[in-house]
Amino acid sequence: MTRIACLLATNEPARPTALLQVALAHSPRVEDAGAGRVYLDASGLERLFGDEPRLAARLHEAAAAVALETRVGIAGSRIAALAAARRGAGTTIVEPGGDAGYLAPAPLSLLELSEDVAARLSRWGLRTLGELAALPTAGLFERLGGEGVRLQRLARGEDPRPLASSRPVPLFEESVDCAWGMETLEPVVERMRELAVRVCAGLSARGLAADAFEWVCRLDGGGVHDGALAPAVPMTDPVAVAGLLRLALEARPPRGIVQSLTLRARPVRVIPAQESLTDRSRPSPRLLAATLNRLVALVGADGIGAPALLDSHRPDAVALGAYHPHPHPLPLPLPLPKQPSPLRGEGIVSSTLALRRLRPPAPAAVTLASGRPVALRSSRLTGRIVAGVGPWRSSGEWWSQHPWLRDEWDVELADGTLCRLAHDGSAWHLAGIYD
Amino acid sequence: MAIPIESLPPPGWDREGIDGLLGLFPPGRLSEIVGPRSSGGSSLLLAFIARITTSGGQVAFVDGMDALDPASAAAAGADLSALLWVKCAGRLRAALSAADLLARCPGFPLVVLDLDELGPVPVSAQIRLQRALEGSDTILIVRSARHREGSGASLVVATRRLAPRWMGLRPLTRLAGLRSEASIARSRLHPLSPQGEGRTWTIDWTL
Repeated sequence: MTRIACLLATNEPARPTALLQVALAHSPRVEDAGAGRVYLDASGLERLFGDEPRLAARLHEAAAAVALETRVGIAGSRIAALAAARRGAGTTIVEPGGDAGYLAPAPLSLLELSEDVAARLSRWGLRTLGELAALPTAGLFERLGGEGVRLQRLARGEDPRPLASSRPVPLFEESVDCAWGMETLEPVVERMRELAVRVCAGLSARGLAADAFEWVCRLDGGGVHDGALAPAVPMTDPVAVAGLLRLALEARPPRGIVQSLTLRARPVRVIPAQESLTDRSRPSPRLLAATLNRLVALVGADGIGAPALLDSHRPDAVALGAYHPHPHPLPLPLPLPKQPSPLRGEGIVSSTLALRRLRPPAPAAVTLASGRPVALRSSRLTGRIVAGVGPWRSSGEWWSQHPWLRDEWDVELADGTLCRLAHDGSAWHLAGIYD
Repeated sequence: MAIPIESLPPPGWDREGIDGLLGLFPPGRLSEIVGPRSSGGSSLLLAFIARITTSGGQVAFVDGMDALDPASAAAAGADLSALLWVKCAGRLRAALSAADLLARCPGFPLVVLDLDELGPVPVSAQIRLQRALEGSDTILIVRSARHREGSGASLVVATRRLAPRWMGLRPLTRLAGLRSEASIARSRLHPLSPQGEGRTWTIDWTL
């Protein structure tokens, strides 16, 4: 039997994740519904916290410890637990199996309806969940489809959707107070080193690294000295981090007596260069980032990336996307080559013919005889055409502002060059050369 | 005598076919594919790129003339998401610098420097590229129309056009492909092996 507890905050939490942390301290399955509301799976918690009133009391206590005022509702479904939490101050518990009856007098607004559905239900004269629950399901399906059936099930306290587990973003932050104050830099650096060791241990335990560190020194008299550093590569080595922090503090020391220190790391997941023995190694993230930056400086940001074919019949419909080397598990055994098997008897092998594009296509002068090209003259290629096939007509995007139409010919020049000619309705172009 | 398992090619690897040719390109060395237009050189490159990317490797393609047709690469079986395309817009120096940078970045089993008519690579740049490759597992292939005498390439594969293949009776209806020949013009790696200089492959490139 499922039991859901709804924890509703009635005041503004000091930290955004405070309510979620309170719930996670009591149940492993917690859904953050936003707006100061979390749901937790209260099933099977009796042996840990006692019966449901005791669980609710513990939730109130834990929330009060972080300056949160809360209401708790416990029922068999999320919607009934929410109604219970909203209806009464303190704790409200709906007995098992009593969700439908408890929800019957609740207003329809509890369902968070869309404007359209709310207007239709209002026109039908419905005001409460009980009235919606009492409607014939088949008729509701005919008028509102599956959404109508879903809403009716919710109104009856039937909620088949499981909790969507939420986890707070881990915060890697450590602080130390020095009531006596630190006047010189050396003890500040030493305390910072200790904080770095603790922060890096937390990062390593989760398999993360940090690509930025921030620190705040609270000074005697209320002042604040803060700073940040971004290492060249994400790191978890406490010695290296402490060394960087020392250099940063020496370059810009705090001006005053330091009363407390806080060090915070921004976690990132570092993908290893080779995740398993069956993977090929990939470029190291640090070297690759440096290389890509240099390449961007060399050829421009629009000249580098991973090619992607666009969903279009337009010739050369290609985009250049961001390049992210990702692991490809090496299939075992390797797939057979897609090309036909070699014709061993003749010593001939077979594969796919490539076209070399000319970008932009080179303007060309084409001589026609009986409607077929017989000579080509362009800046890249000139010659007599000895064979040719075409035209292959393609067109598209006639519904847009930029329609296109092309007639393409594959031709062989007298010197043996195979190329593709294109006529766009007004002029000829040399589109590419087969190679 | 039992064959050591390390020397066995992977399943699907065709020692006698195009895979046998591609298997000759040495890691950590500079190689060249040279040949005139429509001789199958670019098709050979795409076949190699397809072999590498489908087995999980990353390939860098330095495109001197912005001539790569990704649709052809995809048709050859290449995984485009594993392909880093560097477009150099006809600038030889930028292409050479890009290839040099990528040769020094471990993790790319294959780096292609496609120069076509921009080539061949100056000897000084070849030496620099060769130095960048030393000790690495990267195969660097330069594609150019002509071979320069005195080149430091360890393997030079020359491609030669044999004949186009058409479909349909007169009048012809469609270009079906191209038959070309690839031969080892120079090999500093296998001087005494049957895979040494002079060996040829006849390849049918199909559209």
